[in-house]
Amino acid sequence: MIEIKTLVKNYGLNPVLRGVNLHVQAGEFVTLVGPNGAGKSTLMRIVSTLLKPTSGLVEIGGWALPRHSDRVRRYIGLVSHQTMLYADLTAQENLLFFARLYQLDNADARVARAIKYVGLAARQRDPVRTFSRGMMQRLTIARATLHEPDVLLLDEPYTGLDQDASQLLDDLLRREVDYGRTILMITHDLAHGLNLCDRTAILNRGKIVCEVNSHDISSSAFLELYADHTRHQKKKKQTT
Amino acid sequence: MSEQSVSPSLPGAPSFFTAVKAIVWKDLRIEQHTRQTLSLMVMYSLVTVVMFNFALEANLAAARDVANGLLWATILLAGTLGLHRSLALEQDNQAIDAILIAPIDRRVIYVAKVISVTLFTLLLEIILVFMFVVFFNKPFWQPAVLFILALGTIGYVAAGVVITSMAIQTRSREVLLPILLFPIVLPLILPAAIAVAEYMTGQPEMTRVTSTVSLVLAYDLLILAAGFIAYPYVVES
Repeated sequence: MIEIKTLVKNYGLNPVLRGVNLHVQAGEFVTLVGPNGAGKSTLMRIVSTLLKPTSGLVEIGGWALPRHSDRVRRYIGLVSHQTMLYADLTAQENLLFFARLYQLDNADARVARAIKYVGLAARQRDPVRTFSRGMMQRLTIARATLHEPDVLLLDEPYTGLDQDASQLLDDLLRREVDYGRTILMITHDLAHGLNLCDRTAILNRGKIVCEVNSHDISSSAFLELYADHTRHQKKKKQTT
Repeated sequence: MSEQSVSPSLPGAPSFFTAVKAIVWKDLRIEQHTRQTLSLMVMYSLVTVVMFNFALEANLAAARDVANGLLWATILLAGTLGLHRSLALEQDNQAIDAILIAPIDRRVIYVAKVISVTLFTLLLEIILVFMFVVFFNKPFWQPAVLFILALGTIGYVAAGVVITSMAIQTRSREVLLPILLFPIVLPLILPAAIAVAEYMTGQPEMTRVTSTVSLVLAYDLLILAAGFIAYPYVVES
């Protein structure tokens, strides 16, 4: 469903992604972890059509980016650490607005269903600015999945969430997995990264340095692996 | 992977005007809830006009002479507030990204923003015209003057949306916006102000009015076309 081959992105002379290769199958949940500055957000912005790559191939559902961005946009939903919601609109108005941008049939019914799905029915007529961070993030999921995208992209979705809100988000994501969506998540939260997904990849200094099947590795073993791969890079950097 | 791999109930892209309508609806709804844009513009204009009125009170004739220029200056300054507020809304919580990943043409955003900011500015002008008639006793209420004001507003906002969309992404956006915008709209504001000034004399010279209004109209069309074409590149990262 998502195919990334030798992806390069430079900001001026500064290389951020240096030949990323990643394949995500339909219905698979892949998490990308990495330290700050590894290029995770840049990669996510390219996959979500917000940024153009310098070179390399990115395909979603067989459609190459950025050439077929218009077509791909119908099939993707993006959840980021930013809510991408209008704080002065109510939850219902926010979703109605996005339903109109996606030309959804029965927008009112779909919005009501989506709000109920994320457990915000009682607060649907309240302005989003009165919501807690966890509630906002649940509404963000409702926004991102309102048009029933095949691919859900998650960019640090746990940022700023407390324990309970993180748990709720986990539950929502599990439901998305059960629904059969293809999910690509980037995070620097290793615990969440490993728990939910089928496969985890480590991105460091613009390259995928390791890929593991999440079901075949324990949390402690993965932590060791992660430290090994990122420490190795740090040491190299220090010597140069 | 083939196209068949995507689910059958996928949404289609809305028509250009449906998407424009959705964004304008959203902007008006936010304004209905907060009343921040219009009230900010009106308060700013009120303070400006009252201050000038007091400053020039010693010489009422002089005040009446500069009323036309003062009206345009107030529109320009208050207009930047409206432009800034309208586009800053999209930057809050990075909401613009949600619009940019929707299956709509980038130019939809341009057209929608021009419409909503023009609506706010025209509402402000209705209030301003009333204030200027009261304070300066000048015939700004004439339909021809209102028409010229509307034409000037469209061109100003059409240029303003492009410039604000660029400036809003910088740290010094509040300072950068008027510095970039005012020189660009000078070729619009000068003929528009001259045309309005003709009507303030009571006996407008129609050849002069026609030539200046033609310039305003030409500027409007040119800047609308340029903004429409350039906007996708402006909002690209």
